[in-house]
Amino acid sequence: MEQRLRPKRPFSAQIHRLVLLLLLVINIYPLLWMVLNSLKTEQELTMNPFGIARQPVWSNYIEAWKVAKLGPYLINSIIVTLSAVVLTLLVGALAAFFLSRFEFKSKGFLLVYFTFGMLIPIHATLVPLFIEMRSLNLMDNRLTLLLPYTAFNLPITIFILAGFMNAFPKEVEEAGIMDGCSVMGIFGRLILPMLTPALATAFIINFLNNWNEFSFALVLITDGALKTLPLGLANFAGQYNRSYTLQMAGLTIVLVPTLLFYLSVQKYLTAGMTAGAVKG
Amino acid sequence: MQMFLRHKWIIAAGLIPAVVIYTMFSIYPILSSVYYSFFKWDGFSPKQWHGLQNYVNLIGDGVFWQSIRNNLYFVLFSVLGEIPLGLYLAMMLSGKLFRRDGIFRTVFFMPVVISTIVVSLIWNMFYNYQFGLVNTALRAVGLDHWAQNWLGNPGLAIFVLCIVVVWQYTGLYMVIFLAALQNVPSEVLEAAELDGAVGIKRTWHIVVPIIADTIFASVVLCISGALRAFDLIYIMTNGGPSHSTEVGATYMFSQTFSSMKYGYGSAISTAIIIISFGLIIISQFILRSVKR
Repeated sequence: MEQRLRPKRPFSAQIHRLVLLLLLVINIYPLLWMVLNSLKTEQELTMNPFGIARQPVWSNYIEAWKVAKLGPYLINSIIVTLSAVVLTLLVGALAAFFLSRFEFKSKGFLLVYFTFGMLIPIHATLVPLFIEMRSLNLMDNRLTLLLPYTAFNLPITIFILAGFMNAFPKEVEEAGIMDGCSVMGIFGRLILPMLTPALATAFIINFLNNWNEFSFALVLITDGALKTLPLGLANFAGQYNRSYTLQMAGLTIVLVPTLLFYLSVQKYLTAGMTAGAVKG
Repeated sequence: MQMFLRHKWIIAAGLIPAVVIYTMFSIYPILSSVYYSFFKWDGFSPKQWHGLQNYVNLIGDGVFWQSIRNNLYFVLFSVLGEIPLGLYLAMMLSGKLFRRDGIFRTVFFMPVVISTIVVSLIWNMFYNYQFGLVNTALRAVGLDHWAQNWLGNPGLAIFVLCIVVVWQYTGLYMVIFLAALQNVPSEVLEAAELDGAVGIKRTWHIVVPIIADTIFASVVLCISGALRAFDLIYIMTNGGPSHSTEVGATYMFSQTFSSMKYGYGSAISTAIIIISFGLIIISQFILRSVKR
């Protein structure tokens, strides 16, 4: 009798587990396949594309690093990415503060105006942006990408931060006024510290977007010395399209840090998306 | 709050940096794209007024329509692939069967954070004729005659690309739906989960209506995301073979920067914007009528 009352683990649960495991493999395998093959010789790759390298060719990595000029590209990417993230968070947090904590006439309009930015097909702006940057004399500069990256990440940043701030109680400002804080004092001393989790999420999303961005860099950067990692990688693959193992080694060098970064921050990423992106 | 209202200039000062940067580098380019589309222009010599001629040419341009059709394939595959699959994963991972298995969550979201360039290059090798995994696997099970140059087949290439897009972005919608499901009472989820996807009916009638707003927002995001596809195609096929994988963005890019037709390229950009917003409005219209 007791046996029958206990809910049986349904058969369908086993099927779902199987489906999930299959999807798990499909998600991981292409990456793993590439990493494993990056240690082979060209010949071994063709003969045996499935297995593990008989004798790992570590020199692929050294050569890929040098041939693909990953070092300089890495530095460019770090400079561009971080400067854009910092500017976006500063400007975005300030805008989100006023949009979420104050009432004023143009507020509704501005919210719609910024929402619009999330729907713009980025590529429709490539040509005019190229012309605009050229006439502003901003082409081929270390900071060329700073302003477009900031502009295109502001909407999502503002929505995450404003969404998070909307949940703060009104008493925050009241307490600030009692203590004689100025508006900026309330922002800096009360709001910003409370905003840290949302700022972390916005930081990660911005970082990944800028780090991986390709099309603006493609159009706005022509000087080889200023190229960012995705751009450099695309060029490298185009030039060395016969040496696949070298390509795989180069890709692995770029992939691994991104994955490590993701694994170390993923908790904040998903938690913050839950708090901001969806409700905002 | 009375005190603050007397200091309107502070509000303005706080908003101006964001509004200026966003307007100058995101909104203004869109508007100037519309403006340039009325000119015949190579980008360097003086602009020549061309009226609506660029648009007339566009309507008669077979490659343009092919690229729009490919964009629609991308939209269709994304909306019908990523959203149901994302919802399925979210349902599974929020149910008590797999709630503790954090690895699923981590891995399913992983492709979203990888650079599209890296994804494109990996999948290029995956589809490689000689050593690519797809062909090797087919040969291994004796289906040699199925093995082929996947990205070189004009009839297949676009769908081959669609698979990569679904692979890359499903995790994004999973996370969005997981967030939405957190607000759904757990008894509801558990009831639905007991028969899971087998009980599609129950999911459809109970869970979907509760998170309908998130699904609507995701469809919009998905459409605009699918229409943004550029990097992937630029790297994997560059629109080829013979324009069979051309999308609006790649066609715009080659017309502008390779053929030096800035006016025509801008007309394509404008058309992409109109079509994107058209699709978003239509999809919302359909979804709202389904809801009712």
